[in-house]
Amino acid sequence: MYSFPFPFEEGQSHYFYKNNAVQMKNRTTVQITPNYLKEMKLKRDTIIKNPERCFVALDHTYEAQWEATLYIAKELALRYPDTFTMTSRKYGFTLNNHLLKEEVRFDYKVNKEPLNDIGKHVQEDLILMFQREGQLFLDAGQLCFPSNWSLAFNKGMAFMDIHRPVPGFQEGQLDRRIERFLLHLCPGDPFERSNWSLMAGETLNTHLETFPEWGKKRYSVTEDTVGNYVHVRVEVQKLHRLPKTYTILFTIHTHLLSLKELSKDLNKANQLYTILLSLPKPIEEYKGITPYKSHVMNYLEGVL
Amino acid sequence: MKIPVSVESVAMETNDIKRFRIKHRFNEPLPEIHPGAHILTYLPSNEGVIIRPYSLTNRTTDGRYEIAIKLVQKSRGGSFRWHHSVTVGTELEISFPKNILKPELLGRHHVFYAAGIGITPFLTMLHWCKETGRSFELHYGASIKEECLFYGYLKESFKSETRFYFSRERRKERIDYYCSLQRHPIGTHVYICGPPSFIENIINAAKNLGYPRERIHFEAFRSNQIKTKTSPFKVKIEKKCVPVKEDQVLLDVLNENGLSIPYSCRVGQCGTCEITVKKGDVLHQDSFLTEKEKLSFMLPCVSRGKGLIEIDHNSLNLI
Repeated sequence: MYSFPFPFEEGQSHYFYKNNAVQMKNRTTVQITPNYLKEMKLKRDTIIKNPERCFVALDHTYEAQWEATLYIAKELALRYPDTFTMTSRKYGFTLNNHLLKEEVRFDYKVNKEPLNDIGKHVQEDLILMFQREGQLFLDAGQLCFPSNWSLAFNKGMAFMDIHRPVPGFQEGQLDRRIERFLLHLCPGDPFERSNWSLMAGETLNTHLETFPEWGKKRYSVTEDTVGNYVHVRVEVQKLHRLPKTYTILFTIHTHLLSLKELSKDLNKANQLYTILLSLPKPIEEYKGITPYKSHVMNYLEGVL
Repeated sequence: MKIPVSVESVAMETNDIKRFRIKHRFNEPLPEIHPGAHILTYLPSNEGVIIRPYSLTNRTTDGRYEIAIKLVQKSRGGSFRWHHSVTVGTELEISFPKNILKPELLGRHHVFYAAGIGITPFLTMLHWCKETGRSFELHYGASIKEECLFYGYLKESFKSETRFYFSRERRKERIDYYCSLQRHPIGTHVYICGPPSFIENIINAAKNLGYPRERIHFEAFRSNQIKTKTSPFKVKIEKKCVPVKEDQVLLDVLNENGLSIPYSCRVGQCGTCEITVKKGDVLHQDSFLTEKEKLSFMLPCVSRGKGLIEIDHNSLNLI
C-alpha cells in the first residue's frame, strides 16, 4: 500500500540543520508506486527531449554503473516478482518488465550506459558518487526529476562544491560532517533521509535549465488556487555503498502531494504550519517558497 | 546486518598462521568485495561472542571468503580461539565486507609497503592492480622466508612487482623507506600495513618528502577493543551527577535529564549527537570521530564513560 512519505519527525516543530539520515530497515533502493506508468512516460520523454540534461557519466564509472544496474535489477526481481523477472545471460541479463510489457537485454558488450538503461525502469533518479583522495565526486547519474539543479553542471563536481549554495550548510561544519558520514557508509548498511520543499504546480522534471518555464509559476499562486496548486515535494533519498566498486549509490524518489490532500490530516497540516512559521528566511528563499508563502499560511490557518 | 557462514576448509599457511575458507551457510555466494576489504567475525564461545576484524585475502569465484589468522602468543581471545577451536564445519556470523584501505581509482602508480601479517589486506589490492593493468609495486618485509606469509604465491603471481626484505636471513635486509619513497613518480599512492612503528615511520618519511596527505593510505592492526559487555558509569552535567546503568545509552540518559541533543543514526556513524567531554575517560565505540577528535568529543549514542565523565554543557550542539 502506497502512502505519501510525510517528511517530518514525530513532534518536530522546527526546521533542523542536521544530518537527518537514519539506518534503513528494509534496505531497498527503489519503490514502485501507483504513479509508475505515468512517471515512466514522463521520464522517458524527458530523456528523449534533452538527453544531455538527464544523464552524465565519466569514463571510469563504467564498472560501477554495472554494479548499480545489477543491484537494482536484482532488487526489482526479488521484491516485485509479479512485475519484474530477471534472467542471467552469458554477458549480462534480460529484464522482463511486465508493467511496461517490455523485454530488455543488458549486455556487458552492448550497453555503454547501463545506469541510464536501468533508470528507464524505475521512478528514482540515480546518482553515483565516487571517492577520490578523501573526497566524494558526482561522476555519473541519471536525473530526470531534480528539484531545481543541473546534472550537466554538477558532473564531476565534489560533494562539498555541489552543496555550497545550500544556506546554513557550512554552519558548524555540517557540510564536512555529512561528507564524513558518507565516506563512512558501509556495504550492507544503507541509510535514508528525506528532503522536503513546497512547489507551485505539479511538475516533476524541474531542471535548473528550464527554470524560466516553471519558476514563474511561483508568482501565479492565488488565494483560490493555493490548495490544489501548491504541493509538498518530498524526496526520499537512499544511500547504499556498493560492495564491489565501493561507489555510493544515491537514489532519489520524488513524491508530490497537494496542500489540499495533505490537509485532510489536520495533525500533518498543523505540523507543516508550525515548521513553516519558524523556517529560517534563507532556507525559505532557497526553497523558493517566499513568493507564495502568505497564501500557504492563510490556507493552512483556514483549514486549522 | 550479519551473514550466517560456516568454515569450509582450514590450512596451515606458516608455523603460526592458519588460512580459513568461509562459505555462506545456505551456499549463496558471499557479497562481492572491494580490494582491501575486511570483515568482522562473530565467533561464539563460552564467554560470549568474540568479535574480531580480519582482512579478506581472497574471494573465490564461487563466492567464498578466505582469511589468514596469525596465532598471537599471548592471545586467550580471538586468534587463540580461531587456531584451537575452529574446524571445518564451525558455524559463525560475519559482517558485510567493508574497507578502510581502498585503492585509489585514478592513482597513477600504487606502492604497497607491508610488514609481516600486514600483507593480508594487500592481496586483493595487488590482484586488482594486476587484473586491471595498473602500475604497482610491493615492498614486503618479514623475518625469514618460512615465516613470510604467501611467499610462494606472491613470487609466482607478482614476480616482477614484488621485492622481499628478510631481516633474519643470511643476507639481512630492511626496507629503506626514504630511498624507496623518493623514487616514486608524482601521482603515486602509497599504502602501508604492519605494526604501528612501521606505519608511523613510513608516514613520516612520506610526509617529509612532500607526499600529499591524501596519497598516503594505511591500516593499523585493528585493536581488539570491540566490546559487547557494558559497565555502568556516571556523567556530570553542570553540577548534576547522573548514573548511567549498564543497559542504558548515554544519549538517552542525557536527553531524559533535560538536554535535547539531536541525534539520527544511533549507531555511531552520522556524528549528529556529538558532545564535548571536559573530564574523564571515554570508551569510544563510534566509527565517525578521528583519533584527534576523540580527545575532546564523543558520540553518546554508542560510546560510554569509565567511572565518571564530565561533559561540557555549554558546547552542546543544540539547534
